[in-house]
Amino acid sequence: MLEIILHPSHPFRLLSILAACLACCVGMRPAVADDADTPVFSFSGFGTIGMAHSSERNADFTSTPFKEGGAGASGSWSPDVDSVLAAQLTATLTPKLSALLQVVSEQNYDGTYRPHIEWANVRYEFTPDFSVRIGRTALPLFMMTETHAVGYSNPWVRPPLAVYGLSPITSNDGIDASYRFHLGSAINTVQVTAGGYEVKFPVGVGHSASVQAEGLVGVSDTLEYGAFTARANYTQARNTIRLFDPLIDGFRAFGPEGEAIADRYGISDRRTHFFGVGASYDPGRFFAMGEWGRIETHSIVGDSTGWYVSGGYCLRQFTPYATYSSVRLDSATSDRGLDVGALPPSLALPASWLNAALNIALASRPAASTISLGGRWDLRKNMALSVQFDRNRNAPGSPGALTDLQPGFRTGGRYTLTSAKLDFVF
Amino acid sequence: MKRAAPPSSLALMAMLSTGLLLGGHAACASGEVVAVVATGNPVATLTRNEVVAIFLGKASRFPDGSQTVPVDQPEGSDARDASYLLYAGKSAAQLKAHWSKIIFTGRGQPPKDVSNSAEVRKFVASNPHAIGYIEKAFVDSTVRVVLTQ
Repeated sequence: MLEIILHPSHPFRLLSILAACLACCVGMRPAVADDADTPVFSFSGFGTIGMAHSSERNADFTSTPFKEGGAGASGSWSPDVDSVLAAQLTATLTPKLSALLQVVSEQNYDGTYRPHIEWANVRYEFTPDFSVRIGRTALPLFMMTETHAVGYSNPWVRPPLAVYGLSPITSNDGIDASYRFHLGSAINTVQVTAGGYEVKFPVGVGHSASVQAEGLVGVSDTLEYGAFTARANYTQARNTIRLFDPLIDGFRAFGPEGEAIADRYGISDRRTHFFGVGASYDPGRFFAMGEWGRIETHSIVGDSTGWYVSGGYCLRQFTPYATYSSVRLDSATSDRGLDVGALPPSLALPASWLNAALNIALASRPAASTISLGGRWDLRKNMALSVQFDRNRNAPGSPGALTDLQPGFRTGGRYTLTSAKLDFVF
Repeated sequence: MKRAAPPSSLALMAMLSTGLLLGGHAACASGEVVAVVATGNPVATLTRNEVVAIFLGKASRFPDGSQTVPVDQPEGSDARDASYLLYAGKSAAQLKAHWSKIIFTGRGQPPKDVSNSAEVRKFVASNPHAIGYIEKAFVDSTVRVVLTQ
């Protein structure tokens, strides 16, 4: 059973379902010999079989916060970090109108591999350079967001979490428009995205919470000149994470002082901003690229800045590469909270609990740097094998990218990830 | 008399030489490959960047604003592998990775392909928007060269 996780009242839900139905209906139509330029539908897919090992046994490493478990505490070797299987149906209804359905199976927040709809949209091409998509589309915050799951198309085992983990949401329910034009001998593409999303993430064992965005608006600009690409993105949205409501409401019960803390850290309909820039140079024989991103949530989730630089060199079918990435927290990792001393003893205890919970949340944000060395081997047509070693150093007091922290886990530590994966497209 | 190599070692040699061709970035194509349009197409010449942008799906128009219909040589052919390597710097695997990005975001499909240089010439000659690339020996009066290496 496919699952569409959407806000029940989301206006774009119907559109996503419509797009999915359209793609299915057309897909089931017998393939008739038609105008050779426009196939009625095409089926394709991609997948990754991966194994990742973490030297840190008291916490899990996951590639996104939406996975239930990973490598480390759940098992030193894990297939769940990078493995994915996806199928895509593209229906070309007329030369201008097409529909796309992409279904992805990867580990979910509840530990299952139940497939979910990653994209389901209808695309109308007003001209070859101006198109609009409606339904579930990509949320293109970073250079490789749209193809993050297509391991075969990426040079690394996985995109650097220091940047791609700043906002790990990859799909948007809404509309986007893309306009491409020539700037001298360069090609410039402007893309505008609007909509929202709701994604579930695990909280402890057997529980989940969700992050919602409404009123999302983003604009990105991509400039391509030969092998050189530069990109910038700005996106804002109103975010809500209900998980923190009990804590925030608890502070509100403590009068003006508590209200002030609740207003500072609450994440209910909170305006968040994302900025990102990136550039790559890929003449074929080698590649060099880098990205910088910053997210400001002005809430308990914090504000973070991340960046990476990466380069690789092609030696026949082998492409060794190296990446340095770093993410830092720009917001405070602690807060004095309520003045417990000024409260009557009956309120001092709950106040100190609230303070402790707030500080645990503030300190759990990722701050880390990573040196990655790896290699890709294009071993046969449509198939590549990659290995990567990541040496991670968590900033003092931070668990870095690690989750599911167990007793005995120490913040600010170092650990090594060893990953191997086989990517394929069909 | 020299014995012919058994089929299996021939296949192995073919695989190895294909591998060398794909991996090495030297312009070691069998014959020179040129980009062509129909004789009636008003486009005079194109730069390497312009041709590469069209074949990689980054540009959909000729510099004069008219629409392009690129046509490819078949996957695995020398003309295709050598041309992408020479002009775009992309091996067959890198080209596949490039198209994977576009296909799996629903932004397009790779150019359609036909079976050889003669078929490319025929396709280009019959379509004023078409652009293809063929071995230089196949150039005749029906097509016009817009880019040579």
